Amino acid sequence: MKPNNKVWKQMGVLVLAFATLAPAWGGEDESGPVNPYSGDKAVAKEGAELFNQYCSHCHGPWAEQGERVRDLRRLRIRYGDYATETFWTTVHKGRMEKGMPVWGGVLSDDVLWRIYTFLETVQTEE
Amino acid sequence: MASVRRSLLGGVAVVALATVASSAMAQAGNEWPTYGGDKSNTRFSTLDQINTGNVKDLKVVWMHSLGSNDSQESTPIIVGDTMYVTSSTGPKYVFALNARTGEKIWTYQPELPGDYMSTVCCGLDNRGVAVANGMVFFGRLDAKLEALDAKTGKHLWTKTVADYRKGYAITSAPLIVKDMVITGMAGGEYGVRGFVSAYKQSTGELVWKTYTIPGEGEPENDTWKGDSWKTGGGSTWGVGAYDAGRNLVYWSTSNAGPWGASTRGNDSSDIGPYSNKWTSSQLAFDADTGKIVWGYQYTPHDTWDYDGINEAVLTELSLGGQKVPVMMHADRNGFFYVLNRETGKLLAADPFVTVNWASHVDLQTGRPVEAPNNEKRPQLGKWARNVCPNLIGGKNWSPMSYSPQTGLVYLPAFNMCMDIKNREEEYSPGKFYLASEFDLGMAGASGSNLAEFIAWDPVAMKKAWSIPEDYMWASGAMTTAGGLVFYGNLEGKFKAVNAKTGEVLWQFNVGTGITQSAVSYSIDGKQYIAVTAGRLKGPPSFFGKLGQKMMAVSPEGGVLVVFAL
Repeated sequence: MKPNNKVWKQMGVLVLAFATLAPAWGGEDESGPVNPYSGDKAVAKEGAELFNQYCSHCHGPWAEQGERVRDLRRLRIRYGDYATETFWTTVHKGRMEKGMPVWGGVLSDDVLWRIYTFLETVQTEE
Repeated sequence: MASVRRSLLGGVAVVALATVASSAMAQAGNEWPTYGGDKSNTRFSTLDQINTGNVKDLKVVWMHSLGSNDSQESTPIIVGDTMYVTSSTGPKYVFALNARTGEKIWTYQPELPGDYMSTVCCGLDNRGVAVANGMVFFGRLDAKLEALDAKTGKHLWTKTVADYRKGYAITSAPLIVKDMVITGMAGGEYGVRGFVSAYKQSTGELVWKTYTIPGEGEPENDTWKGDSWKTGGGSTWGVGAYDAGRNLVYWSTSNAGPWGASTRGNDSSDIGPYSNKWTSSQLAFDADTGKIVWGYQYTPHDTWDYDGINEAVLTELSLGGQKVPVMMHADRNGFFYVLNRETGKLLAADPFVTVNWASHVDLQTGRPVEAPNNEKRPQLGKWARNVCPNLIGGKNWSPMSYSPQTGLVYLPAFNMCMDIKNREEEYSPGKFYLASEFDLGMAGASGSNLAEFIAWDPVAMKKAWSIPEDYMWASGAMTTAGGLVFYGNLEGKFKAVNAKTGEVLWQFNVGTGITQSAVSYSIDGKQYIAVTAGRLKGPPSFFGKLGQKMMAVSPEGGVLVVFAL
């Protein structure tokens, strides 16, 4: 899982390059998934309801969660630049052996982005 | 006994005869032969060596690591001088231990596919085994039932009870009845159709399978709107009880699926024909055929996740000058029920915690009278606020105990409320099917304590005494003829309490939360008390801020601790 130095350097350059342009955290590279709703408060509110409907049984209502590995308020500090990509891959493909179902084909990409827009608003720093 | 298959059991047949004879005892004594202590689920031990006078001297005599870190919910079974206990996560292990010393006799690791974890809703638990005729039986989270040789731990057979990929699982210990092993199943959050099924102990061959939700053309199928019965829930993830004299097997059923009721009926307190039978119900089955003899519905047209699987405790009570064969049941919906277990007739129902979704249960119709104007009933797009109890219930699966010595029932209760709303949702096999949004992160209904350990008088239908607990949850209970009731809490404090007065006489910190009841047994004249511990993870995960507090109280773990004088 450890990325090689070359990838790190590339990511670093990209993050620097886009730091002033990026509307939200995530720092996706050009080929990575990009949240079309990033920063949209109305979508985030709707995303919270969708999150509470589909995700809260494991991840906690409003993403409030005491079990560290399930705490999605920590995506940013855990995955850093890869947070959006990790979210996207995980919800689409699941992590069945850790209890995460495959949501690809069940929830639409639009719904998933709305949920992610909510998650962007609850990221913690510590 | 004709059912004992000598071809399979060979030399252990004689041992098996002795085992069955002792297992037929009315109450747990030297052995703890079945999940509920006896098949009436009283969890009362006739042992009295450890009693109110000397319990202060109780000490640890041995410990055993359960080898996993998810919620530990196993009730150890003691037959002869052997203890059979499972760990969580599958189970990850089935252990046979020398009950005097904890020394290993054998360890068995079932082979489970890793992806079952994504179709188990509420914790990767296992509540233990059933032992009969020289065999050990247990259910698995991948919805399989497995049989082992009790002496060697050698695998005998595995039976697929249902397809785990569609959300089916088995969490509780099976029930032994005659030459059968009977199991329930979980999956009420995945749009399953619930059932109870019975298998031949010797071969795993299916004897009967009865759906809790009637199919097309069967009576009560018209209590469902359209095809909603096909994904209507009514799972049977709790434990059964058996009345040998009446040849009746009792099992109760989970919430209706999905939680949001709009696809199942009127989505209103004005239920009309859509009561959604037999979800959130008590059922009595003919033990030989599996035919439903009677049913009683605790929560018609459920939409609060008032899952009705809590155990039935069978006894005789003196009611109005008559000895009545009853079953007692403390429901998630907050009412304590007494039913005539022969007929299913409702005899009494009173709230044992703060209840506001219904004012009372009408003893004539047997139906709860809901709060007016759907005030406490969530509907499609409409929040119901401050509904008590919340969806974890007035009581959850952790078992209660009935002491014939005091005539009291001892039960772990919750003191919590919720906001809940129904939403639209499509069914997708193997995915949560809740159609609901909820918020549980609110303070208790009465007082700041989130749980309470209650001594309940089932004749007067009121509390005799109670001990408030700061955190959900308090564990299940065990009573003994020594005048004691044992229980534990989320902090890992294991307590011995004077069953009459509620005075805490002794406690010991096992270091991680306790949810299951303790057991007691005796070997060579020495009484032991055993408890499994390992703080739960499932429910705290969906409790928001309260869940965070719960998880901070004690770390997860997996330990079996055994005490003696």
